[in-house]
Amino acid sequence: MSENLDDLIICSHCETIHKKVELPEKKVAKCSVCGKKLYSNVEDTFKKAIAYSITALILFTIASMFPIIKVYIAGQESDLTIPGMLITLFNEGFYVVGSIVFVVIVIAPLIVILSYIALAILTYFKIFRGFAKHIVSFLITSRSWAMVDIFLISILVALVKLFGYAQINFGVSSIALILFVIVDTFVLKNILPVELWTYFNRAYDEK
Amino acid sequence: MKSNKDKYIRCPYCESVNVDNGGVVYCRTCKNRISGNKEINLRNAWAMLITAMIFYVIANIYPILVISKFGVTSSNTIIGGAIALWEEGSYPISIIIFVASVFVPLLKFILILYILTNYKKPQKGSRRVDQAMLYHITEVIGPWSMVDVFVVAILAGVVHMSSVKITAGIGATAFVLMVFFTMLSAMSIDIRLMREDNDGD
Repeated sequence: MSENLDDLIICSHCETIHKKVELPEKKVAKCSVCGKKLYSNVEDTFKKAIAYSITALILFTIASMFPIIKVYIAGQESDLTIPGMLITLFNEGFYVVGSIVFVVIVIAPLIVILSYIALAILTYFKIFRGFAKHIVSFLITSRSWAMVDIFLISILVALVKLFGYAQINFGVSSIALILFVIVDTFVLKNILPVELWTYFNRAYDEK
Repeated sequence: MKSNKDKYIRCPYCESVNVDNGGVVYCRTCKNRISGNKEINLRNAWAMLITAMIFYVIANIYPILVISKFGVTSSNTIIGGAIALWEEGSYPISIIIFVASVFVPLLKFILILYILTNYKKPQKGSRRVDQAMLYHITEVIGPWSMVDVFVVAILAGVVHMSSVKITAGIGATAFVLMVFFTMLSAMSIDIRLMREDNDGD
């Protein structure tokens, strides 16, 4: 084999093969056939990912601990918290709905955040290469199951349904949740699998 | 750079480039099996799709939401809920619910069916990109069907007063399973199949 396979990349959109080039900071490589983003400067991307995952972890903790909205119906007050909502579903016997909602708005996003942080620590010390590899695979799979952004839109839809009957106040967590979704959509979900693997290989191979 | 296409194969898990020797290939980076399991993948995709369609029918028949107001119980199906919102005058929300819960799942079924029934036919270059694009559309719109389930969960979580109480219905369970199986079906489709069967170039 004349070429090193690590220097090649196949577009995930149209399957065209390209040769990788070294990118300067803040530049992006795009497919010559369909124009889809192939990869960006890896060091740059990953530095951002670590900072934003710690931010996301803090935001997520706040968002899930305090009430997102407060509702007054017929003189009675009621809060919407993520744990409270799940407990209600389980108490009423909706185990399937409860578990799937739990996975897509709590477990999957947490796995994504914690994987980024764990990956940063492991690659910094260059330890547990095999374990780090599993983390990367797991991170990529978990990302497609994290649906906090859709949950946020659903809150708005639910609010409109309640408008006629209830007085609604926004709680502390609503802002945290909105910020979390912004970080999640623009940073954590935006890093391509190939960038993660390039970063992984570089971190462990260079001395 | 363009090189001999048939020699290389992309790992769908880690995107690394591997040499395709025609037989079973294990990815050199992540050690996953990445070729030679075409038929298994297709069978899985079909099975998941059919399961999802059955749950879709159940989800539309049974109530997704049960409201008890001063002891009087009324229940809403997905379409019933969208119609009720329309009659109350909340047109945008009614449209969101209708699009996310009725239209998006149907669109996904049609797209996956189209991909599964057409992949074997030889295609020209432009058609190939079209199919890949269809797949990416299903990937992006898929999770949005969860809106209705989340809305039910939120309403059930908030409205549990002594006078008014909202609980989820059987339809919600069927609906969430429908979304789950549709996602699995879409994930079992290997979009590289569209390339392998393409002898246009």
